Amino acid sequence: MRARNITVGIMLLLGLVIAMVPENTTKPYKLTADQLLRAVNTGTHMIHPDYLAEWLINKDPSIQLVDVRSPDDFEKYHLPNAINIPLADILNPDYQVIWDQGVKFNVLYSNGSTDSNEAWMILRQLGYQNLGVLMGGLNYWTEVIMNPEEPPVTSPNDEIAKYEFRKGASQALGGGAATTKTATTDTEIKKPKIVPRKAKKAPQGGC
Amino acid sequence: MGPLVPNEVIGANWNFLIAFVIGIGFGFVLEQAGFSSSRKLAGMFYGYDTVVLKVFFTGAITAMLGLLFFSLFGWINLNLVYVNPTYLWSAIIGGVIMGVGFIAGGFCPGTSICAAAIGKIDAMIFIGGIFLGVFIFGEGFPLWEKLYYAMDLGAPKLNQVLGISGGFFAFLVIIAAAIMFWVGEWAEKKFPREEY
Repeated sequence: MRARNITVGIMLLLGLVIAMVPENTTKPYKLTADQLLRAVNTGTHMIHPDYLAEWLINKDPSIQLVDVRSPDDFEKYHLPNAINIPLADILNPDYQVIWDQGVKFNVLYSNGSTDSNEAWMILRQLGYQNLGVLMGGLNYWTEVIMNPEEPPVTSPNDEIAKYEFRKGASQALGGGAATTKTATTDTEIKKPKIVPRKAKKAPQGGC
Repeated sequence: MGPLVPNEVIGANWNFLIAFVIGIGFGFVLEQAGFSSSRKLAGMFYGYDTVVLKVFFTGAITAMLGLLFFSLFGWINLNLVYVNPTYLWSAIIGGVIMGVGFIAGGFCPGTSICAAAIGKIDAMIFIGGIFLGVFIFGEGFPLWEKLYYAMDLGAPKLNQVLGISGGFFAFLVIIAAAIMFWVGEWAEKKFPREEY
């Protein structure tokens, strides 16, 4: 009898405590600072525009582009098939299905790479995977893919091939600012030839 | 940190082992509380024995307080804990069928397994009835599929529906439980049975 009353008393007391404290609505970070720092340092989440262009041309279905700029900017220009989730709204529960899945790889981009990196850090700490950031953002994308600079003729073949690919990608993705003198010759080619990147050779000779 | 499986702290295969251990613990508590006697369970209905109410409500309150405190300390993310979706008509009709079966048979599914394990023949027959019901439900599913999925409310929590905090709602539940325990014991004195 006594033990039971004590139990009820304790339960009521604990209930009172839990009724008084504010509800814990924080979303706990799942990555420790160490883990995140390691991820930042390795930089494997950085997607080079060349890779992204290749994926876009191939219409890779596993890639989801996420524009973290404002809806206005998104209206003015956005990459093909991108969806708009402004940085301020990334934690909106409506968008959770986009982050919390294991099928698509989300590539975040903004004008530069600050906003997209901030979004990436928050989402990554919340434990979401399959996240990448477009290296340099739209600015670098425009510079590298949309308006590729012709390398001097004396450049190594790799450079020339890269340029050819970028020029083609620019046309395929609606950039159209590839230098006109060569563009005339291959206007009918919509899909650029993808030059497989060769694996880096190990340094030879030397010490 | 928690829940452990969704956060990939432990693998999903552990689910079965954990369920096994919890199941044994649950069965032990049921048997220990005397729930393998159908008279004890029926006593809840007639008012001469309310130990069922007390055991289950104590268990529920303990789990509720535990989860809320774990959440408070950041040990578990309650948003990741699975909540059964509510289909209102299913819940009401299923509840009525279960209640009738409870009084008529003297067992609920868990306690019937418990009682069958200690060799009670009425419990074994009760289990046969469960399987018969499962069979009829499964085979006739197209007939009541519409009713089954009617009024899908999602997975609401009572405190969200009422618009109060989880902690305050828990406190109200504890007060309600204490009152129910008191009323239950009053009923036990009011409708006593010598032997059952």
